[in-house]
Amino acid sequence: MRAQFVFGEVWVGLRRNLTMTAALVVVVAISLSLLGTGLLFVKQVDHTRSLWQSRVQISIYLCDQTPLSTQCAKNGPVTAAEKAQISHVLTALNQVVHVTYLSQQQDYQQFRQEMAGFPALIANTPPADIPASFQVRLKNAQADAAPVAAAVAGMPGVDSVVDDSAILTKFYKLLGGARDAVIVTAIILIVAAILLVANTIRLSAFNRRRETAIMRLVGASNFYVQLPFLVEGMIAGLCGWLIATGLLIGARAGLDGLQQYFPFPITLSTLDLAQVVTITMLIALVLCGTTSFLTLRRYLRV
Amino acid sequence: MIHFEGVTKTYPNQSRPALESVDLDVEKGEFVFLVGPSGSGKSTFLRLILREERPTAGRIYVAGRDLARLSTWKVPQLRRRIGCVFQDFRLLPGKSVYQNIAFALEVIGKPRRFIRKVVPEVIDLVGLEGKADRMPDELSGGEQQRVAMARAFVNRPMILLADEPTGNIDPATSIGIMKVLDRINRTGTTVVMATHDAAIVDSMRKRVIELEYGKVVRDQSRGVYGQAY
Repeated sequence: MRAQFVFGEVWVGLRRNLTMTAALVVVVAISLSLLGTGLLFVKQVDHTRSLWQSRVQISIYLCDQTPLSTQCAKNGPVTAAEKAQISHVLTALNQVVHVTYLSQQQDYQQFRQEMAGFPALIANTPPADIPASFQVRLKNAQADAAPVAAAVAGMPGVDSVVDDSAILTKFYKLLGGARDAVIVTAIILIVAAILLVANTIRLSAFNRRRETAIMRLVGASNFYVQLPFLVEGMIAGLCGWLIATGLLIGARAGLDGLQQYFPFPITLSTLDLAQVVTITMLIALVLCGTTSFLTLRRYLRV
Repeated sequence: MIHFEGVTKTYPNQSRPALESVDLDVEKGEFVFLVGPSGSGKSTFLRLILREERPTAGRIYVAGRDLARLSTWKVPQLRRRIGCVFQDFRLLPGKSVYQNIAFALEVIGKPRRFIRKVVPEVIDLVGLEGKADRMPDELSGGEQQRVAMARAFVNRPMILLADEPTGNIDPATSIGIMKVLDRINRTGTTVVMATHDAAIVDSMRKRVIELEYGKVVRDQSRGVYGQAY
């Protein structure tokens, strides 16, 4: 096995086939970075979901001096007896894990915390606008939200019931749709990449037909004849992967940047990024290696 | 060394066989001329020995191996024992004389030390002393053919096949080429040379096998090219 010889041949092949190799590198880079972005999306959604899953709750806002619902307008602000009654109903439900009462003051503090990024909003919201509420934590955020909400909706003193998970579901749908679009595009591009690998290797084999004819004649093994082409395909794949890695680091920064719009910071760890980068590298190697190998079997027979 | 037993080769979409019921033996160390008009089956004969083609019928043994039983992945091993020279030299234009010869050893994984030792030896053997660094386009046809012979011989094959090696070379230079082939033959290498060159065949006085329409019509030790041509 003579590494110097093999790499010499690879270098000649890549140089003679420069335009095709460049096209291959670009397509591999784009398809891998899109696929990687899709995978980062998946991870992001997973992280967000698990974080929210533990926090998701139902907020039951109570009537105050500035009523929003017709019911509050009719009955006036919530009374202590009504509060006790609501609390009683909630704690009796077995889907409910925990009920917390937040006074108007406490609710306002929480609002300020969550909206810390939007000082104008805080400045324009007097404390009186934020109603007192019951924060209800559920056993199963997805399934239990509707029956619990139904149990208290319409009770005297209840202004509105807000189900956090309903908002999250929409958010997940949006993220999921974006992810699917990215992955479908990536797959189409990967098919293009496979065809390009096959074409590049075929051209390369044609360019070097004299060499391979002599190699076969003097009894070079199949492995020796094919290895330079295989390495050539894989090097092009790895170049594409390197570019894709750069783009993925950028994509991660972009996803992290999006986080400022959400109250809870969930950034992708370097480990996540490393995983995605490793997966895309394996895909690049397997894709280019297998395609080169199969193409060679057709065009370089002994 | 080479043994043909009732060998027939018919190419696809051809009614007439390129070779028909050929029986012959070439012993170790022999020098054999293969003569006959174009299309008489000389090239097919050589391709069958290299196992570039498989016979339609019959058996071929090369260096004691039954080619029909040789698995595809062992074909390279067979070819390492056979050297080949062609009318059109088939040198790599981007490589020097030395690199062209070394290439044959590099691709079968020989160590560099070995290559550095044997390549200059064969360059001397074929009479190209001092021209190791020339490129093929700086050489005459005769010199290019010497490079091709050096490449064919550098791995010390048991058999050297030459397909009209003097076909592109003037008669005076051809004599030099034949001297090199003779030198190679004297090292114990079996040489099979297909040719049209009557003068060479007549002057060498070696065994002559004549093919016509795929059949052996003459097999003479110390023969001549023949009156008909």
